[in-house]
Amino acid sequence: MKIAVCVKQVLSREATIRVNDQGTWVRDADAQFEINEPDQYALEEALRLKEQHGGEVIAVSAGPARVTQVLREALARGADRAIHVGDDALVEGDAFVVAAALAEAIRPEGVDLILTGLQSDDQGFGQVGVVMAERLGMPHATIIMDVSLADGQVRVKRELEGGWFQWVTLPLPTLLTIQSGINQLRYATLKGIMAAKKKEIRAVRAEGRASEQRIARLYVPEKSKQTRVLEGSAAEIAKELVQALREARVI
Amino acid sequence: MSALEVWTFRLLVVVALALFSVQMATRLRLVAAGAQNLRWDRFPERFRQFLVDVVFQARVIRAKPWVGSAHLLVFWGFVAFAGFTAVESLRGLGLLDLTETHWFRSYRVALAPFAVAVLAGILFLLVRRGLFRPPALGQTVSKESILIGVLIATLMVTFLLDLRLEGGAERVNWWVHMLVILAFLVLIPDSKHLHLVLSPVTVFLKSPVLGDVPNLDFEREEVGFETVADLPAKQRLDAFTCVECGRCQEACPAFATGKLLNPKKLILDAQRAMLGGQLDAKLVDVFDDGVLWQCTTCGACENQCPVGIEHVPLIIGSRRGLVSNGEAPDYLGPVFNNLERRGNIWGLTYDQRDKFIASAGVETFDASRHSYLVWLGCAGAFEADYQKSLRALFEILHANGVRFGVLAKERCNGDPAKRTGNEYIFQELATQNAEELRQAGAKKIVTSCPHCLKTLGQDYRRFGLDAEVVHSAVLVSELTSHVHLAKDDEVTFHDPCYLGRYAGHTAEPRALLHRVGAEVKEPVRNRDNPFCCGAGGGLLFEEHESGKRISQERLDQLQATGARRVVTACPFCSIMLKGAQASTQSSTEMVDLISYVNDKLRGEGRGAGG
Repeated sequence: MKIAVCVKQVLSREATIRVNDQGTWVRDADAQFEINEPDQYALEEALRLKEQHGGEVIAVSAGPARVTQVLREALARGADRAIHVGDDALVEGDAFVVAAALAEAIRPEGVDLILTGLQSDDQGFGQVGVVMAERLGMPHATIIMDVSLADGQVRVKRELEGGWFQWVTLPLPTLLTIQSGINQLRYATLKGIMAAKKKEIRAVRAEGRASEQRIARLYVPEKSKQTRVLEGSAAEIAKELVQALREARVI
Repeated sequence: MSALEVWTFRLLVVVALALFSVQMATRLRLVAAGAQNLRWDRFPERFRQFLVDVVFQARVIRAKPWVGSAHLLVFWGFVAFAGFTAVESLRGLGLLDLTETHWFRSYRVALAPFAVAVLAGILFLLVRRGLFRPPALGQTVSKESILIGVLIATLMVTFLLDLRLEGGAERVNWWVHMLVILAFLVLIPDSKHLHLVLSPVTVFLKSPVLGDVPNLDFEREEVGFETVADLPAKQRLDAFTCVECGRCQEACPAFATGKLLNPKKLILDAQRAMLGGQLDAKLVDVFDDGVLWQCTTCGACENQCPVGIEHVPLIIGSRRGLVSNGEAPDYLGPVFNNLERRGNIWGLTYDQRDKFIASAGVETFDASRHSYLVWLGCAGAFEADYQKSLRALFEILHANGVRFGVLAKERCNGDPAKRTGNEYIFQELATQNAEELRQAGAKKIVTSCPHCLKTLGQDYRRFGLDAEVVHSAVLVSELTSHVHLAKDDEVTFHDPCYLGRYAGHTAEPRALLHRVGAEVKEPVRNRDNPFCCGAGGGLLFEEHESGKRISQERLDQLQATGARRVVTACPFCSIMLKGAQASTQSSTEMVDLISYVNDKLRGEGRGAGG
């Protein structure tokens, strides 16, 4: 069982966010980054599948040199090797460009299974996984809650809306986008971190493809607070309060 | 002495020495095979603990004055008899006879009171062990101890008889005395009486700092203790020095609440594994199931130990071996991930801390304007109840003209990672925090959390932080020495382990309480030997505690004082005791020390006096 896991490096929640001069993305230079949380669950699922069925887990990330940090984290947690798809332009690439770059890097590996997080914490398109599957000619299933492998097939539980679930069986190779919280994440062990230093991160170049979508303007949402004092008799105030709460869609 | 006697004695001495040496060699070889961690630095402090704990037996006596004093008599008797034994042995071997010299006669007479003292001491100890036997000494009477006790008594009786006897009877008496000594030599190495030989060394080699757990050296690929073979020299020496007195067992909050962990058994299990040649056995298999994760690192065992055994480094070292292999208990996984990703145990984002700082109106630390840096800690950043205590501290500092600031950003100090054996995360956090504290130029740091106190104040020395670190109880106690409010309240005080036992600050909180009009009704286990609240060593996060909950046991002890109000000085003690209180729905009120003091100072007794 050969499993590829796509991990994205996203802005840390602790980071102070500043918009860049063009107003199109976040200023990279003074930001802090971390591994995309949904991808951690994809990685954990891949590691568990490997522990059950044997095989290999390959972590793949696309972006500038700094993304090797998340690959190191994946290696420390137990991925066997990593592929860094290097291209600075991928930071502002759309889902199609990123998916194409990842797909080309993974294609020669001939993997049985590709896992990604459901979506990224920064852009949240939820598209990279499914576009990749399409480009690689693989079936895919999204919002996966449970994965079990048997007889060369994979049976998955998908989360639908309103508390409904769907069980689907897919042939291999296949691509799954993993829902957050489906497993308990392991922590990086000292031995894992030491071993990670000796594991391979292979660099591949992404072919320069132009994004079809671009971000026109990025801005910080503005918060405002309004205070209204209601006056009159208790009955009037109560009536007005109900009215105001209805308008604010609180009730 | 006849030639036959001399040759017989020579033969017996050779046999006894050979048996002694063979047994000792086995043990010393095992100690020497461990990684070298025997330290001779800080000589004055080590010499002092040797003097206090070996020569004057302070630790033996402190917890149990009667037993300890009896032991002191036996110990000093043994020392006094060393010369006598040497002279009589030389005579017996036919090498040199000094028994007729003037000084030896005087020495013999002077020894008589010592012999009586030893006899009294050993008879007392024999009766205690044989007839009353406290549970800590084991389920059954140790035959070996009784034998050793009888031998010691025989030595003293034969010595005293020797002062009176003449002729043939004197010879028989002499032989009995010397044979007992030789038997003693043979029996010592394979018994707990090996402490006679080893404990002076073990006490000297014990770290002068309680619960001192050195950093792992990642360059040398150290990952903690995984197998028996990984135990370093001091931990091996500890295992052979154990005198099986069970004081650690009596002091252990986990053992007291029905858990499997017994610090005495832990040490003896390590000893058994080494002597049994199980060097490749995993420590987790050598020790009872799960006990490594039942320790709160309260330090009571180590602090009680009269022979210098360090339990905490053994437990944390063994935890490290597990954590390095991903074998920590499940409940710690999220804690480690939170610490790694968010820099705090709860996995929250630090905007809550920013909001707290902004609403409390605290400035960012600036070395040119502020004399103190207030370290908030995880609890200060996120725990609403504890933030009240910090606001109280800020008010007191303002009122006394102390200029202070806080770091713009803080991470957890790493205590939960250190004590649960996640050395990687600990060193990451400590390196960054120490660097930021150094850059901020903080010379004096004050914290209300005793765990931050120990970690910043001691563990961070190894990361180059040399600022003075004080607990708020100590600083506020210094600032308010002029205050004298009339007595109007009765409280009980729970000493946090990391404040009372580790840092020795037992007088300051009491002085503070007294000063603001509160009489302290002491619970059992107080001051430098408190009973833990159950939070330390990562157990704050444990979901299912076996046996009685430690926090519940402590709350019961505190309530038994009859005081309606429990004052403590640690955010984690607070969380645990409040948890216990909530589940019993008792009416006891929990108050943080600094909040309580500030209310009293502001209201001159009206606020919290009630």
